[in-house]
Order: sequence, then C-alpha cells, then structure tokens
Amino acid sequence: MTHYTWHFEAVWENLPLLLQGLWDTCLLAPLAMAVGLVVGLGVALLRLSGVWGLSAIATGFTELFRTTPLLVQVIWVYTVLPLLTGIALSPFVSGLVALGLNVAAFMAEIYRTGITSIDYSQKQGALALGMTRAQAMRRIILPQAVRRMIPPMTAMWVALFKDTSILATIGVVELMYQARVVASDTFRPLEVFTAVGIIYFLLTYPQALLVNWIYDRLRVHS
Amino acid sequence: MSTAVLRVKDLQKSFGALEVLRGVSLEVQRGEVIVLLGASGSGKSSFLRCLNRLEEPSSGSIYLGDVEVTAVSANLAQIRRRMGMVFQHLNLFPHMTAVQNVMEGPRTVLGLRRTMAHSLALRMLAKVHLTDKAEARTWQLSGGQQQRVAIARALAMEPEVMLFDEVTSALDPELVGEVLTVMKQLADDGMTMIVVTHEMAFARRVADRVLMLDQGVVIEEGPPEQIFGAPTHERTRRFLRRLAWEEQAT
Repeated sequence: MTHYTWHFEAVWENLPLLLQGLWDTCLLAPLAMAVGLVVGLGVALLRLSGVWGLSAIATGFTELFRTTPLLVQVIWVYTVLPLLTGIALSPFVSGLVALGLNVAAFMAEIYRTGITSIDYSQKQGALALGMTRAQAMRRIILPQAVRRMIPPMTAMWVALFKDTSILATIGVVELMYQARVVASDTFRPLEVFTAVGIIYFLLTYPQALLVNWIYDRLRVHS
Repeated sequence: MSTAVLRVKDLQKSFGALEVLRGVSLEVQRGEVIVLLGASGSGKSSFLRCLNRLEEPSSGSIYLGDVEVTAVSANLAQIRRRMGMVFQHLNLFPHMTAVQNVMEGPRTVLGLRRTMAHSLALRMLAKVHLTDKAEARTWQLSGGQQQRVAIARALAMEPEVMLFDEVTSALDPELVGEVLTVMKQLADDGMTMIVVTHEMAFARRVADRVLMLDQGVVIEEGPPEQIFGAPTHERTRRFLRRLAWEEQAT
C-alpha cells in the first residue's frame, strides 16, 4: 500500500465517460422516485381501503419488496420478467421498474403510517362538520400527514440516489457502470473507485444535510 | 306533526355484549337546553355520538326535523352540518389558524367564497370573544380558547342543534368558566342544545330539562330545580352527592 503510486490522470482523462454515467444516475433517481411516489400512494390507499382482497394484495406487494434484496429484484425484473411476459425491456427500463417498485413499497409504508398517525379525533371533527370522508382526507388528514411523511421520504431519496449504482449489474450505463469500464480500460481501479466514491459523497452529502434541515424544521410544531 | 327539533325513540347501542344504551327516548323542542347527567359509563356520551351517527346506533330511531337520521339511506354529511358538535378532547385542526378553523366548514362543506367565509368566521369568533386571536395558531391558544374556537367552528355551519360532549372535562379548572359563559350566552340566544356535563352549577342555571342516565337508561328527568332539589331516585341522589363533594374538594 505504501509503495503504491497513485495515478489520478486515469480519472481525469476519462472524466467525460464518468460524467456521462453520472447523467444517467441523475436521470434514474428522480424517475424512480416519481414511480415510487405515485405507485406507493396507490398501494397505501389500497391497503387502507378496508376491502380485504385489495388490502391483502397491497400488503403482499409491500412485504415482498421490503424483504428481498434490491439486487435480487433488479436481476429478477431484468431476466425473469421478460420470460414471463414475453416483453423484453432495456436495462434502463428494467432497472427503473425494479428500483421504482422497490421505492414504492417503502413509500407505501411511509404514506400509510403517516395517514394512520393522525389522531382519530381530527377525522371525527371533520365528519362532525358535515365533511364527506374524501373531504376529511383531503382537507384535514393529508395536509397534516404530509408534514410527517416528508422527513422519511427525503431520507428515502438519499438512499435511492446511491442505490442506483446497483443497476450497473444489469448493464445500465450509469456512474458505477462507467466506473467499471474506465477501471478496466485503464487498469486503475483504485483511483477510479476512489474518485467515484468521492463523486457520490459530494452529491449525496449536501442532500443528507438538506434532509436533516427539513427534519428539524418540520419537527418544531407537530 | 310534532314541532320537536329532535326526536329520539328507544335508542339502543351495544358494543359486542356490552349494552351502553338500553332504550333512551327524548324529544327536544326548539330553543330547549337539555343537560345529560350520569356517571362515566352511563352511556351519555354514546347517546350524544349516536345522534349524528358518529357512533352507529344498534336500534331505535332518530329524527332531525322531518329527516330520519337512522335511515339506511340517510345523507350523513347533510345531517351533520345541521348539528354542531363540540368534543371533550381538543381537536382543532392544527395546520390552520383559528379563523381558518372556523372558515373550514363553510368553505369546504357549504362551498362559500373565501371572503364570505372569512367574514362569517370573524362574526363567530366575536361571539366567543376571540376576535383578537383570529390569526393565532392552535398551539398558541389555551385549552379554554381552543374550545371556544371549536364552538365557533360548529356555529359557523349555522346548526339547528348544538351537541356538547363534556367540553370542559379536559380543561384546567380556571379555564372552565370562560367556556361555560359562552355556552350560557348561546342558550340565552335561543340555541337548541344538548349538553353532557358534570358542571352542576351550569346545569342548574342554564338547563330547561335535566336527564339522569344510569346504565343506559334515563332513570330520572325533569327541570333542574326538581332533579337537584328533590331527586326521587336513590342513584341520582348518590351521584349528586358525589359531584357536590368533588366540587368542594377542588
């Protein structure tokens, strides 16, 4: 280790390639987040619907994705799903589907616990005024629940941003994939992965700080 | 056709094997103030909550004017806007200011325009003497102030009946008076009210009729002078003695 001579030129010379991968990372993360937010809300509402069959399906979905490794889900969607459906998806779309559904499962729990954490007396007060259940949900419960959901959702976002690196395994050309390519081209894996680690850190750390800031702000009066 | 605002016939309610209401009947005339007394577990809160079907009655019938509240097809949202309710627990909407709390019903349920709802809400806050707290957040208000805003919130729907479910029980003793004062003033204005309370002085001075509930039935009923002055039922006497003792003790 002490005799190793670092050659970071390998990183600098291939920076365009890495940035190209970074572009896909920065595209994947928000897209997966969007899928997670939308599908997750649907799953949470199904789970809370009180209709046995629907809530059982929603629970099954949530638990399946929460109790298996993301890596397994990603590979499964890329390799097995096309066999079952007959539709071959590109690595990017497969990765997006797997990651999006994984996030959705966690989002569903965040939505659900957020909604159920609002005291029943709030719903009761709304109903007593003559609101319908939907009005009570929209005007009284959700606005309060969202404040409680935002901190765990932003934390989820930070985790998701890093987890996009797993998609390199199925050939999605994001930052981690490009890092592997550059590393094997230049025979400088130590420099490349060090640099990539720093890139992830520089991008994620400010976001983590933002999460903490949001957390503190929303905690004050809730 | 009866002129009663509210007619309740043989109301029964059970939670599983537990019968909390075993046939309660009541007719409330316009402008009448009814006080329900009874030990905890006597069924008085359940009775109140059955009236707007926040609790589902097991059997019996309830009429609000000509509308059958207990009908399967009853439009509960429509019925509830005609009955204001204030609860024991403080349940203002914490993501809104005081005036927004009062505006919420007229805006969302009645579809009033913002400016109209706002001036209506200010009038209601004036009624409960909280004009100066209109822009306050709920956590900046004392318990007594929160209950007064809750009263204003219910009044903003211009209900035909007001239901009060032990609205001073969760308050510090020094905050009880301001809430009772507002309620007395409402009664003086001619509001029809059904009040569940342990405040004997309030019942004595404001009630037109007092009902004593025990184990899910009305065991005694009459004007306050009679109930407090010459209770006939042994359980009523015991209950009143205990209340009096507690009032002295505090």
